[in-house]
Parts: sequence; structure tokens; C-alpha cells
Amino acid sequence: MIALDAIRETLGTAEPWVESHGAHWLNPGTATIRELAKLMNSVSARFITITAYELPASEGFRLEYHWDLEGRLLGFPFEIAGNSIDSIYDLCEAADWIEREVHEGFAIDFTGRDYEPLLLREGDKPGVNLREAPAPSDPAPAAQGPKEVAK
Amino acid sequence: MSYKIPMGPYHPGLEEPYKLDMICEGETVRDAELHIGFNFRGIEHLAETRNYVQVIALMERVCGICSFIHTLTLCQAMEQLAGVEPPPRAKYIRIIMAELERLHSHVLWAGIASKLMGFKTMFMTCFALREKVMDVLQAISGNRVNYSMNCVGGVNRDIEDPIALVPMIDELEREMMRTIIPIFTTSSTARSRCAGIGILTHEKAISCAVVGPTARASGIAQDLRRDAPYAAYEEMKFEVPVEQAGDVRARLFVRALEIIESCGIIRQALARMAPGEISSAPEKLVFAAGTATSRVEAPRGEVMYSVSWKENSRNPARVHVRTPTYANMPAVRWMVRGARLADTPLIQASIDPCYSCTDR
Repeated sequence: MIALDAIRETLGTAEPWVESHGAHWLNPGTATIRELAKLMNSVSARFITITAYELPASEGFRLEYHWDLEGRLLGFPFEIAGNSIDSIYDLCEAADWIEREVHEGFAIDFTGRDYEPLLLREGDKPGVNLREAPAPSDPAPAAQGPKEVAK
Repeated sequence: MSYKIPMGPYHPGLEEPYKLDMICEGETVRDAELHIGFNFRGIEHLAETRNYVQVIALMERVCGICSFIHTLTLCQAMEQLAGVEPPPRAKYIRIIMAELERLHSHVLWAGIASKLMGFKTMFMTCFALREKVMDVLQAISGNRVNYSMNCVGGVNRDIEDPIALVPMIDELEREMMRTIIPIFTTSSTARSRCAGIGILTHEKAISCAVVGPTARASGIAQDLRRDAPYAAYEEMKFEVPVEQAGDVRARLFVRALEIIESCGIIRQALARMAPGEISSAPEKLVFAAGTATSRVEAPRGEVMYSVSWKENSRNPARVHVRTPTYANMPAVRWMVRGARLADTPLIQASIDPCYSCTDR
């Protein structure tokens, strides 16, 4: 079984793993998500999902990346101050749909990839479902034209 | 010359809202694009507006087939935040319900696959058998689809006479051993329609991070019931069937063998049930602020819930659901490449897709 501390040392993170509420959590420190994805590939971990949270008072977002390593659920939180983070789609094919879904739910930009068409709400705009504060590119409600009705 | 054939979102060969745009050359599929979202309901957003009782009923509606599994995963996550441990009897009841749901799902899938193979008699046989599984589910829960069994801290209904269920399980297993399993594993119809088609290689299965029977049919021996046991699965003895071929027939074999294993697990759980409480929830639940995760092996593969709570709140701050079909469906693109157009309905059905789960 692969030792979790070996992963921590490779990432160069001083903080220890914390087992909490069903997952092993590691603060990735200065490691980027792409460095983490490469490391997870090298230990044959299985990508599971990304869970996005909007932080209070427009402080940005927290993205929790999850992998399975030999039955252990690993969690890595990344806090982003703005609206963008690197995409890992080219390193991890399985991240494709969830990056597209987080993009349209929270208007977070995964840099280095395309999204079109949107995954779940084709023809709609990103950031209107799960995001509390309006996405920066949202037009004011009054400026919106009437919705087209299919005939 | 290549041309595009759209299959779905309304199509006789694909009776659920999902679209597969296939680029064909003659009768051969060269590539495909998948489109989902035709049934998007915004359930994750709705969950943030429901209290801890209502959210269980809401998440039960994520999926009609795996309704029990969804509430089980949600309740396990909420139990971690509430600091509640379900009593042993509740854990056995959860196992029995989860395995009955697996039987019901696998037999339903077998029926649909039979229909797509042009094997209508088998379709009728499977659905008749599925009715019997649903009768058992109804006998336990009072419901046929959304069972309302799970609550934070245990289950809502007891199995008052577990021994009375044993003959029902025996009959189910006998019927499956007599009809479904031998026909699917030995009949020339099933073999000719399933062998060597829709292959997902081991490498591609790893790359796509597929789960459940789809992964196990491509040689990936993963099953959360064994690898990360929950409820009382640690006490159960069972095998995890794995096939190497990665084709539709391998997926069929894995599910057929899992039917037998599920019957064995149900029998073990019924035999081990000791008298006792079915719920340990206090009168008033208090959820700690933070995030909890839970994973369960659903009939189609791993379901994962991330549940986040704010201090002194009755509602979850966030509920994120990763369903198995969401992980498996992108792999359909690789399965249909090089396939005959006529085989694509069966190939896409072979992952046992659930569009209700996927769209949420």
C-alpha cells in the first residue's frame, strides 16, 4: 500500500494529512493543481470529482479535488481568490465533465481548455445556478432581452 | 465520406433523454459526441434550500432505481457531521436494502439489454423476476420505488421477521440461476450480440476512471464494499467478479455473477441480524460545521456525496453528488468507436446508464 506521507513529501508540504469525516485531507501548500494531478497519475490514483464552494463575501472559491488511492479517499482543497484555476483535463481525462459542470455552475474558468457546448445547460450562461454573487460577465437584469420561445 | 447520425434525445433505440452524435463512415462509427443535460433539475441547488429532514426525501429523487443508495450515502455523510453512529441492526437492514436494490437494478438492466438484443422473451422473463424483487422491497419498506428507509442515525422501518424473507430470497436466487444467468452466459443469441463489441480497454478504463461493473468488466478489481467497507460490509463474505475482455459480454457476465453474490450477502445479513434498535438518532440533531464525504457502491458503481454544513444551520450549505453514470458515460465515446451503427444502442446500454442521476 502506498504511504500517504510519501505523497506529502513529494508535494513538499509541511502540513500533515488529516483524516476527517470520511476522507484524508492534505493542504497542498504551494503545489499547483497540475503538479498534484501529475503526482496522482504517477501513483495510479483514480480521479473522482471536484466539489466547488463559494466562499463568503466574494472571497473567491474553494475547490476540493478528490482521488481514490487503493480504497482511501484523498481530498485536496485549493482556494482561489479570483475566478480561474488551471485545467487538468489534458492530464486527467476523467476531469472533463466535472470541470465543465463547475464552470457553468460557478462561472469558474479552468484555463487551458474549451467548454462549448455547456454540459448540463446548453445555450444558457455560466454561474447562474450554484453561485450566489452574480458572475462578473452577467449583464444587468434590465439589459437582458426577452427569452426566445421555441415555436 | 463521413456523415453524422444523431441518436437522441428522443429515439426508439435510446429511451431516455441523452444524445449521441455519431460520425459514421458507411455502417461504421468513427467517433461520437455525447450531450447530456436534457433533464437537468438543479437538485444540488434545491438541497441548499431544504432542512435536514427534507433533504433526505429530495435526494431520494436523484435516481428512481438507486433511490435507497442515494439516501444511504447522504445519511452516512450527515451522520459524520452529527456524530451519530447507526446501531448494528440498522446497518444490516441497510445492507439488505442495498443488495435488493442491486438485484432489482441488475435484473432491470438485463431486461433492457435483452430487448436491445432482440430477445423479447428474455425481456419479459427479466421483468417478471424484477417484480418479485420489488415485492420483497415493498414487503420491507411499504414502497416500490422511493423507499423512505434511511434516516440520520439508522433506518425508519424494521425487518420484523427476517427469517420470513429467506424463502423469498431463495426463490429469487433459484429463478435467477435457472433462467437469467444460464441464458445470458451460454445462449448463442446473447453471445453473438455481445461478444467483442463495445470494447473498453483496461488502459482506457483507467484513463476515464470508470466505476462499478463497467470498470470490473475491463479488468479493474475495485469495489467499495470490499475496498472501503461501510455499513456492515466488513463482516460479509463475498467475491468481486472481474472480467478482462472489456466488451458488452464481459459487462453482462460481471452483473450476472454479482446477482449471485448479492443473494449470498442478503442471506448473511438476514442471518446475523440481532434484536435491537433501528435508529440511534437523538431527539434533536446538531450538525457540526464543516464538510463530510461518503461513498457507496451503487449497482452502477461508486456514488460520492460531499455534504457541507454551516454552524447552527438546519439546511446543508452544499450537497455535491458524483454519480456512477457521470463517471462512466464519457467512456461510451471510446466504446462505440469502430462499432457497427446497429450495435450502438446495446453498447451505450451496457454501462447501465442513468440519465436521471447524471442530470440531477
